[in-house]
Amino acid sequence: MLRLAWLLPALPFAGFVALALLGRRLPRATATAVGVGSVGLAFAVAVAIGAAWLAAPPAGGAYVQHLWRWFDVAGFAPDVALFVDPLALVMCGVVTGVGFLIHVYATEYMRDEPGYARFFASMNLFVGSMLTLVLADDLLLLYLGWEGVGLCSYLLIGFWYRDAANGRAARKAFVVTRVGDTAFAIALFLIVRELGTLEIDEVLVRAAAQWPAGGTLAILVAALLLAGAAGKSAQAPLQVWLPDAMAGPTPVSALIHAATMVTAGVYLIARMNVLFALAPPVMTAVMIVGAATLLLGAFSALAQRDLKRVLAYSTISQIGYMFLALGVGAWSAAVFHLMTHAFFKALLFLGAGAVLLATHHEGDVLKLGGLRRRLPVTFWTFVIGGAALAGVPLVTAGFFSKDAILWEAWSRGGPVPWAVGLLGAFLTALYVSRVILLTFFGEQKHAAEPERGLRIQLPLVALAALSIGGGWVHGGFDRFLAGDAHGGEALFEVVAAVISLAGVGVAWLAWRRGLWARPDGALQRFWRSGWGFDAVYHTLFVRPYVWFARANARDVFDRGADAIAGLARGGNRLLVASQDGRVRTYVAGLALGAVVLLAIGVIFARPEPAGAETATEVRP
Amino acid sequence: MNGTDLVALGPLLALGAAAVVTLLSIAVRRHQRATATIAGLGLVAAACALPAAADVAPRQVTALVRIDDFALLYIGLFLAAAFATIVLAHDDLRRRAEPHREEFHVLVLLSTLGACVLATSTHFASFFLGLETSSVALYALIAYPRSGPAHAEAGLKYLLLAGASSAFLLFGMALVYADLGALSFDGFAAALLAGRGTPALVWPALALVVAGASFKLAVAPFHMWVPDVYQGAPAPVTGFLATVSKGAVLAALLRLFVALGGVERPVVVWTFGALAVTSMLAGNLLALSQRSLKRLLACSSVAHLGYVLVAFLAAAPVALEAVTWYLVAYFVTTLAAFGVVTVLAGGDREADALDDYRGLFWRRPWLAALLTGCLLSLAGIPLTAGFLAKFYALAAGTSEARWALVVALVVNSALSAFYYLRVVVAMAAPAPAAAPARRVPLGAGVLLAVLALLLVGLGVYPAALTALIRATATALS
Repeated sequence: MLRLAWLLPALPFAGFVALALLGRRLPRATATAVGVGSVGLAFAVAVAIGAAWLAAPPAGGAYVQHLWRWFDVAGFAPDVALFVDPLALVMCGVVTGVGFLIHVYATEYMRDEPGYARFFASMNLFVGSMLTLVLADDLLLLYLGWEGVGLCSYLLIGFWYRDAANGRAARKAFVVTRVGDTAFAIALFLIVRELGTLEIDEVLVRAAAQWPAGGTLAILVAALLLAGAAGKSAQAPLQVWLPDAMAGPTPVSALIHAATMVTAGVYLIARMNVLFALAPPVMTAVMIVGAATLLLGAFSALAQRDLKRVLAYSTISQIGYMFLALGVGAWSAAVFHLMTHAFFKALLFLGAGAVLLATHHEGDVLKLGGLRRRLPVTFWTFVIGGAALAGVPLVTAGFFSKDAILWEAWSRGGPVPWAVGLLGAFLTALYVSRVILLTFFGEQKHAAEPERGLRIQLPLVALAALSIGGGWVHGGFDRFLAGDAHGGEALFEVVAAVISLAGVGVAWLAWRRGLWARPDGALQRFWRSGWGFDAVYHTLFVRPYVWFARANARDVFDRGADAIAGLARGGNRLLVASQDGRVRTYVAGLALGAVVLLAIGVIFARPEPAGAETATEVRP
Repeated sequence: MNGTDLVALGPLLALGAAAVVTLLSIAVRRHQRATATIAGLGLVAAACALPAAADVAPRQVTALVRIDDFALLYIGLFLAAAFATIVLAHDDLRRRAEPHREEFHVLVLLSTLGACVLATSTHFASFFLGLETSSVALYALIAYPRSGPAHAEAGLKYLLLAGASSAFLLFGMALVYADLGALSFDGFAAALLAGRGTPALVWPALALVVAGASFKLAVAPFHMWVPDVYQGAPAPVTGFLATVSKGAVLAALLRLFVALGGVERPVVVWTFGALAVTSMLAGNLLALSQRSLKRLLACSSVAHLGYVLVAFLAAAPVALEAVTWYLVAYFVTTLAAFGVVTVLAGGDREADALDDYRGLFWRRPWLAALLTGCLLSLAGIPLTAGFLAKFYALAAGTSEARWALVVALVVNSALSAFYYLRVVVAMAAPAPAAAPARRVPLGAGVLLAVLALLLVGLGVYPAALTALIRATATALS
């Protein structure tokens, strides 16, 4: 059964090829069948592989499927191979399972789009790339998937490309993540130079053997990987692209910018955790990045007015939790939260999409309200998702995963990371309750159509079930992933539960007093703007850059590059002049070449070292 | 000569027979499709003779030719390229409404025969015979359409310059014979190793041989004819000229220099190093401002032969592998590119000017995508055949620590990206008012699809080809 692993990325890729080549000619029903079916089949394969794994885990805890050797030149021989282990299996399950539900949802959501086939082609390409990323046995293949998901993110954020703002958002996402990608690429160059391989297992073994803990190289490589991870996972200071990425269709936000792609950074660090363990300062940096991001995102989410932007900042904040866990070395807790987060955040986004469908894309929570009766299924599932996000105790998945992180933060990181996490938990409960109250309770301020059919509701219900049930597997999950189970302290669970319930309560009180609808204070505006990062970057990078570009309109600094271009142009003119179409010129060229070659022949003709005496004598 | 020799020569004999049969069939009745079919079947028959020949390989047949895995691989490559040329030419000739279209196929077969002889030659006599058989047929092929003066001009230029270059080649061979009394590569090498050669004669003689061969390879400064001839020749012939005739000469050069004991001598390194650098620079610089796609591809091919020479200069097994890989990738890419040019021709003119390609993505998305793939492959973008080819060249350069060549290769790759991408940008530009497009004929369509698959396939899954080439590379060294 494990031998079917290659089907996981192959099926979505096949779907992509079919849709990309024939998309416009296929009837819509066929396009749907191909687009959704490919991911559905991949999910079935993932389930089958997972079942086979649970029944009889392979020896060594990992299964490597060598597909082919890409090439073998000059000692560099990257393999195209898949690496299946519990971590990869969890990721595959999340990507294909949540991905399948979102694809089903999208068939309804994107019903009236002219670019229907293009949408599913990009989505399939994304799923294929993401599976390549998580299954790669080799960092080069992983990088291919990494760039592939980045490309799909760009294509899908800018899906409605006729609106220039969407194009700008797509470009911003691409450029900002590129900062991280560049760091990642440099890390790969360093690894291949120092360790001579890119095969992940081999890299980890050799790194542990050759690099001393805390050594410069280990720190440098780990720091560069962290930069790459932070870019892809929208962590401070590279988080600015994610809120704007909400310009894409909502299923895209759910799949790419909440459930899967943005967690690629978490996956990368979890996968390379041996290397990170060699670099304690970078581990601390991971923790600090996570802690800072989780607070920054939570405060910003509190002040947003747009439903999807709240969720975007919430995603940033929740991935901050995962980084916090990674930073204290609790990578299985991070991956557990990754999984539960994929469930409930996808649910919340799909719920938000259902609201947008009903209200003709009115996303401002202050203009909404009272949708509870009009959209009952959406309401209940959204509440379940919100409860999971807030970490409502015992019944939700988010509670278990967040509690695991808080416990690990205390036991491994001490009181400070724990306190930050706790504050974040309070804020999370606060902002999610605020959104639910403003959207679904109170009087209805905005006209709303009734709910759409089953293809919207089924994914919502399924994800809601996962958002509740996903947490109960905690102990089994830890054993599956890391071989041992950590039980949290009961006292800590109680504290975390109280904190999150307190958040809900405060939100309710504030809502009752109408505090949420009050005009903005300066602090709120500051938070809404995402702590002014965009403005700061605008001032620090964009404005000086633009100013500089203006002041430098004559391109003083380009003189160097211009010189090359000028040389090229000059050479071009020179050579073009020789291309006059006359045979006599060409013969002259021939003669010139022959003379030069003859000269080389005469100048470099040395006597043979073997028979120097005979060679120099001139034969009669 | 016995039965086994005949089996070993099977592919060459089949090809020669095919040329005769095709010629006779024209005498019986003029029918383009029938003639093309006969010629194509002749190529297939020659290809079918390859496995039998491989069974008896390696085998020296007379002093002139040696049938070994290396030669058979190149013969197979040339046969495939010739087949592609015939398929494309079928479309091209019909469009041109030439009165006498059938002899074209005979010429292709003869030129291919010459190329195959070159790949097997271990003797200066067969070297020259193969070269001339290949070239003489090409003169006529280039000037084949009689619809305008451009073709005749191109053919005449090629004739005159090829004649001059053959003179260099012959003079070089004569000098070798005068000094060493040997014309076979092995005899030459043995005499050199024994120290019998006069350095002041032997190396200049080799320089002249290289000069003659360089004309065929079109490396700078022997490249000046290339843009004119490529533009003047019909597109399928250009594709043939760019691939088969160059590949054959390169195969012969490989054989000669491997026999001479590698390329470690400074004189060889300087000769080919200088040719490589000037070719890369000249080709890429010339291409920068081209507004004709055929001339652009011509200039690009000059640069590519420069890259190949970098690979050529590595130590024997690496060089054989790298050069052969590069050639296969280059064959696939070039044939596909000229295939697109061929099928895009409309009415009485070829799609040559860059303006003909403006907005092609919106009018002919498949052809535009294929041409984009070709250009990316020429630029050496990963997941295309051209990436690995260039990687081979770079690896070969670094393996010998020839940093100047490596730097030149990298700089030139950057330069070349400019003009390749310029074509892609033109294709993505808003479409002008669309002229009615010709349908792609079935044969050419299938051929282009196969080439597209190879283009990507070689980039993603090169292992099969690498294994094949490695098996043959040992045949020489």
